Amino acid sequence: MVKDVQMTPTTSPISEKIKNLFLARETGVLVALIVMAIFLSLATPAFLSVRNLLNVGRQVSLLGIMSVGMTYVLISREVDLSVGSIYALVGLITGMLIVMGWGLVPALLIGLLIGAMVGFINGWLSTYGSLPSFITTLGMMSVARGAALLITNGEPVTVNEIQGADPQTLSQFYYLGQGRVFDLIPMQLLFFVIVAILGWILLSKTVFGFKIYAVGGSDKAARVSGIKVYNIKIWAFVIMGFLSGLAGILSIAFLPSGQAGRTGVGLELDVIAATIVGGASLAGGEGTILGTILGVLIIGVLRNGLILMGISAFWQETMIGAVIILAVGVDKWTRSRRGL
Amino acid sequence: MSDNLTPLIELKQIKKGFPGVQALDGVSLTVYPGEIHAIIGENGAGKSTLMNILAGELQPDSGEIIFQGRPVRIPHPNVSQQLGISVVYQELALAPNLTVAENISLNTVRTSFGLEFVNRRDFAVKAKAVLSQLGMASLDLRQPVGRLTVAQQQMVEIGKAISTDVKVLILDEPNSALTKEETDHLFAVLRDLRAAGVAIIYISHRLEEVLSLSDRITVLRDGQWVETMPAESATVDRLIARMVGREVDTLFRPQGASTVQTQISFEVKELSSTALLRDLSFMVHAGEVVGVAGLPGAGKDELVECCFGLRPYTGAIEVKGQPVRLTEPDQAIKHGLALIPADRRGTGAMLVLSVQDNIVAANLSQVSRAGLLQRPAIRAVGQQYVQQLDIRIAGLTQAMGTLSGGNQQKVILARGLATQPAVLILHEPTRGIDVGAKAEIYAILQQLAAEGVAILIVSSELPELIGQCDRILVMYQGAFTGEFDRDDAAEEPILACAMGQSTHLETT
Repeated sequence: MVKDVQMTPTTSPISEKIKNLFLARETGVLVALIVMAIFLSLATPAFLSVRNLLNVGRQVSLLGIMSVGMTYVLISREVDLSVGSIYALVGLITGMLIVMGWGLVPALLIGLLIGAMVGFINGWLSTYGSLPSFITTLGMMSVARGAALLITNGEPVTVNEIQGADPQTLSQFYYLGQGRVFDLIPMQLLFFVIVAILGWILLSKTVFGFKIYAVGGSDKAARVSGIKVYNIKIWAFVIMGFLSGLAGILSIAFLPSGQAGRTGVGLELDVIAATIVGGASLAGGEGTILGTILGVLIIGVLRNGLILMGISAFWQETMIGAVIILAVGVDKWTRSRRGL
Repeated sequence: MSDNLTPLIELKQIKKGFPGVQALDGVSLTVYPGEIHAIIGENGAGKSTLMNILAGELQPDSGEIIFQGRPVRIPHPNVSQQLGISVVYQELALAPNLTVAENISLNTVRTSFGLEFVNRRDFAVKAKAVLSQLGMASLDLRQPVGRLTVAQQQMVEIGKAISTDVKVLILDEPNSALTKEETDHLFAVLRDLRAAGVAIIYISHRLEEVLSLSDRITVLRDGQWVETMPAESATVDRLIARMVGREVDTLFRPQGASTVQTQISFEVKELSSTALLRDLSFMVHAGEVVGVAGLPGAGKDELVECCFGLRPYTGAIEVKGQPVRLTEPDQAIKHGLALIPADRRGTGAMLVLSVQDNIVAANLSQVSRAGLLQRPAIRAVGQQYVQQLDIRIAGLTQAMGTLSGGNQQKVILARGLATQPAVLILHEPTRGIDVGAKAEIYAILQQLAAEGVAILIVSSELPELIGQCDRILVMYQGAFTGEFDRDDAAEEPILACAMGQSTHLETT
């Protein structure tokens, strides 16, 4: 009864792959990154040294770790504005625990657990609580920031021996933030690479990752497909909170100090910007970890290049803002050409 | 038709291509003042593209638009407005938070500079005049449009269109969500406008209505003009043949092809849900196609939701004799149910996801191992259903949103079938779908019934139910008021039951 004469006009996988490669958002971002790198290496010879590139890698690592989490949140069609505050809260609490003489592992576990818990609360309120995540996380941005201020009494937290930290714990803690593997690769960059790889596998290779896309594509359609929409979204927020906490810990281990009123203020905008430049859509359902990494690198390379070229920090902000608008604008344009 | 033989609008050899598809391939069309000109064609025939060109939303690649004898360009919707062309889209373009009066005045507000003071009294006077012209004088002007029924909203939209000096009124599938009375009213309004010299371009899939309403009918197929004929000389069969380019005889399945088995696949006992559903009991046998008819608001939507774990209920549901408790759709799927939802773009499709991802979404355990996706398996399942259901796509990774409505619906059907359901529930399965795709979907359903799947079709299209179902249940105010076997199913008695006249009631 069903017609079977008509050939299905499916192109061969290989030509389809090539076509998709050209259409993929990542390709555009990659080309932009390469153009920027070529320009910078011509403009300032310092750019293309191993040392400098590793330096860029370290500088973008914390942004990168959080952007991996933001990729999950944006694809699931939510947003998290509280990441900068979670970053501060978890970093400061972990730092204080170390100062109070706690061991490394318990201090880290408590810190990461708090990050994940805050993420869970964000997620629960944004799903079962029927509130838009823009509102819940905007509120949480203040709540977590306020909690950090209360706990630290607004005072700076410095993690060193004078404050009472155990010397051995302290050197381990410092190594997390400041260490270099083989005396070359910064630990922060190593963390970023590990988070990116795990994040990529989870998002693109697992059923959970598929569900993230489905939920963001249409939560109603996902629900009638038997997907537990709320649980998936909550997990995205938990991952986000956990990774924000991890970045906050690495930050205080690097510096090694922080202040509740300053640490990570405005960071949420950089994180969302990098993720969106990398191709994730605020409308949900779209984005990849690879794209996010490229987006993070674009922002990192741009900052680094502008510094190397001796351009003022005020211009950096202006240029980065322009890049965000340009990237999203180009994406909109190519999407309409593709008929989406 | 009017005596005035100067065409109001002439399209000559309009071409418009999108990447991968030639949406319009040299279409010409002439519309006279005071005529209702219907445009019909399957989905993807190019009707919407043509209308969007007239509305100034899209620019043709080549061809000419002649308006009242002068060649014109319509680079922007404002220009189309100034020419006197108004479009009423299928998805209404009203601001739900604004009042009736404000919405009607939107067009005039939009063309002004923006800093003038808003005169709400003017709004009200104008809106009142326009609405009484439409026979809607009783509508409360201060009500937010979001609280109106779809039919009332549509009248507001038409009111908005005629509030300016409209010469051409374009309606895209205007009555797909209207009841019979509302449709009659709409048609009366359109005939009035015709008498006032307005040219009306009417796009619809409902061929009987097209025949009774319009003066001339233009058929498009695959972006090409096929024929323009006077409505008097057209018949439904002829229109269908011209639309699909072949004879469609599968709309109604041949008599005696029933495949009902004795085993009961799906049984609902005394199902109630708040005040909306009252003690509903029915069963669907394996291989049986059961239809549920009813007017909007009768409780059909709620019944579907209860049967798929989307709405709390009291009462019992049994699948293949096993009592089940459906609290969430994943429970329903686990117990062998599949749902094809009514709201295709909202609840059915995940538009930004690929075709293959849409197909496997309800059946992830089949395409994964230990939580890891097996890409080749996803591809294989996708390929299998694309072939089996003859889904026309450029590739399995094509985004769902770029497909035509009929193909999207087939993908959603594939998603349901991929779970190997014992019971398939379809809610408005062919709403807004062209006649060719409709026939194909019907053929698929009959095939599934022959394979022993129990099928429940909940639909507001009576010809569809009468053509497809072994049995039809009729709902009125949350309860069943009638049951018809296929042999005595006919539109009039079913409609009578749907309007509350409890006749022909048998208990099963």
